[in-house]
Amino acid sequence: MSTATATRARIAVIGLGNVLFGDDGFGPFVLALLHSRWEFSTDVTLVDVGTPGLDLVTYLQGREAVILVDAVGATGRPGELRRYRNEELTRMPAKPRISPHDPAVQETLLIAQFAGDGPRHVLLIGTIPLSLEQGAGLSAPIHDAASTAAAMVVDELATLGAAPALRPEPVDVDPWWMRAPATPSSHAAR
Amino acid sequence: MARITIDPITRIEGHLRIDAVVDGGQVQKAWASGTMWRGIETILRGRDPREAWLFTQRFCGVCTTVHALASVRAVEDALGLEVPLNAQYIRNLIMLAHGLHDHIVHFYHLSALDWVDVTTIPKADPAKAATTAQSLSDWPGNSRQEMARVQKKVVGLVESGQLGIFANGYWGHPAMKLAPEVNLLALAHYLQALEFQRKANQVVGILGGKTPHIQNLAVGGVMNAINLDSLATLNMDRLYMLKDLLDEVVPFVQQVYFPDACAIAGFYPEWFDIGAGVKNYLAVPDLPTDTRSTIFDIPGGTIFDGNLGSVKSISGARDAYFRQSVVEDHTHAWYKGSGALHPWKGETNPDYTDFKDDGKYTWVKAPRFEGKPMQVGPLSNVLVAYAQQHELTRKWTDLALERVSAVAGHRITVDKLQSTMGRYLARAIRAAVLSDLAVRHWQLLVKNVTSGDAHTFNPPSFPKDAVEGVGFHEAPRGALSHWVVVKDGILSNYQAVVPTTWNASPRDERDVPGPYEAALLKNPVANPDKPLELLRTVHSFDPCMACAIHTLDMEGRTTATVKVL
Repeated sequence: MSTATATRARIAVIGLGNVLFGDDGFGPFVLALLHSRWEFSTDVTLVDVGTPGLDLVTYLQGREAVILVDAVGATGRPGELRRYRNEELTRMPAKPRISPHDPAVQETLLIAQFAGDGPRHVLLIGTIPLSLEQGAGLSAPIHDAASTAAAMVVDELATLGAAPALRPEPVDVDPWWMRAPATPSSHAAR
Repeated sequence: MARITIDPITRIEGHLRIDAVVDGGQVQKAWASGTMWRGIETILRGRDPREAWLFTQRFCGVCTTVHALASVRAVEDALGLEVPLNAQYIRNLIMLAHGLHDHIVHFYHLSALDWVDVTTIPKADPAKAATTAQSLSDWPGNSRQEMARVQKKVVGLVESGQLGIFANGYWGHPAMKLAPEVNLLALAHYLQALEFQRKANQVVGILGGKTPHIQNLAVGGVMNAINLDSLATLNMDRLYMLKDLLDEVVPFVQQVYFPDACAIAGFYPEWFDIGAGVKNYLAVPDLPTDTRSTIFDIPGGTIFDGNLGSVKSISGARDAYFRQSVVEDHTHAWYKGSGALHPWKGETNPDYTDFKDDGKYTWVKAPRFEGKPMQVGPLSNVLVAYAQQHELTRKWTDLALERVSAVAGHRITVDKLQSTMGRYLARAIRAAVLSDLAVRHWQLLVKNVTSGDAHTFNPPSFPKDAVEGVGFHEAPRGALSHWVVVKDGILSNYQAVVPTTWNASPRDERDVPGPYEAALLKNPVANPDKPLELLRTVHSFDPCMACAIHTLDMEGRTTATVKVL
């Protein structure tokens, strides 16, 4: 669905992180999981935004609520899930920025707030990563946490009056970045 | 003497660290370091070249489309595959819209607050701010009411004691010089710019199917179906939706961003004498208008030693001058050994040693062109095009220099663009050029489609033997090139030489510093605890380390340190 043609959904579920760096791909993977098990109303849009830096502000503005899914740097056991609300996300000490990646969740929420059209309702569901080494795919504890995180997203949507419907038959979770590389034999047909 | 280290993010994240030794109020030596391993290309070895662009699009979350495009171009080059005209125009429009979006965001949201002191805004006279804004441009969003509305928002923040989004600025710094009214009008445009960067991004979304990761590319063209009578495809309605968006974005660039950049540059003329650094420039040609990618709307080339008369053209991806001249040196980078290799022969074997001032100190390799460090980015693009008499670049550059000179009260020449402020101004000049070209490429697409051509894709076929290719793109941050080796339908090597690698390059085997390191030399630093001047020069390059990750830091670690030596 293109951003221009769709009427803006009042709720956005946003997956953050780089799918090429291990557990940093948690957010996009949880989104893939949500897609495979549930069907969402037109009130809800699911966006895998990657690592957009300041461009995240575009996906926050004009929404009633946003649910962000990300890997978080916090003290704890890998795979632990943490929930943060708007106030906790925006009151952290600010830091100098050098590259456009540096302004992230905190700064984009504050910009949207200052512009006057930020989301009133914000929830960030984060997991503590085990490995951020290069390579596509999640470590076992983070992979295990994804189902719980997806259920937390669904619960939050229910309280926002936009509960998704369980699919009668779940579709495969098969994100392209987790597929094995091609082998020369698989190209033989070409 | 003091050593300043700006290292915004923790060890595990892929960011830029700047070190500077300051003595007598000036930088005496500087180091640029990329703090995360850049071997991401190894993920692509053994993969299908037709899907490489999906992966490269994730190299960088800010520059998604540019890596997707360079990737398909590299494979097309290796195969000698022509690209249908419709596909060229659609890709060009995506690039143009992305470039406009990116430049608007850089100016207002990423760097304006290095020059604009928000905390003076409560003292501004909104009527005077409106008059000043109206003297710069006839943009309708410059009313006294608008200025008063924005001022009220800032007063509210200041009174609340929570500066929110503005909490981390170097407010009250002696290098901040704008009148409160100019600060107010700049902040009013900062807010308006949020809307227009989004509209530019919508153009990318309509053509690419999705943002921030486009879905429509293919090796051999694009996957957009064109049928003027069908609702599900790229039809007249969609084409006019693009036109409506451009009709809003183009005036914003020409009547707001461009005049603001000229005015702010004119108020800080001393920054045209700071931060030149490496005066060798590289730009690649872009916006192809033929199927073989030999005719371009933006010229490429090189300039050496700051001499515009030395300009030498790069005619296209097949030009040996480009293909043969690029190497990457890893003497001071955390890879095994020393010396330089051509990207097709490139190796990525890590050898981490910790930060050694005179040894290895970065994950970024040092690209060199004919053995020399090169600056890339809008300034290179503008100088290379200006020196080759590119009409649109001449038009906007001459107008910019006239405006800046009028505000500064003395003549600022094209040579003065080789500076920190010149990089900001060149980005605005480039945005104005791109805005004219966006209208032109929309017209080219519509004309071609209405002539009955619906062709968008030529299927690739892969030879058994190894073939080499390079795909380049003059991206918002400068010359990007992807280098591929394909054997029997599989990628056997992949190297991306990204703009920030050129600019953030470390010293090479001859100890010649890269563009950031050279540009920081002699930068003034009034107060080492508040190194605003360093950020101005670093931000002027619009740094973006490819392959950053995004882990949210919930524990707020300290990130800028100053050590007295």
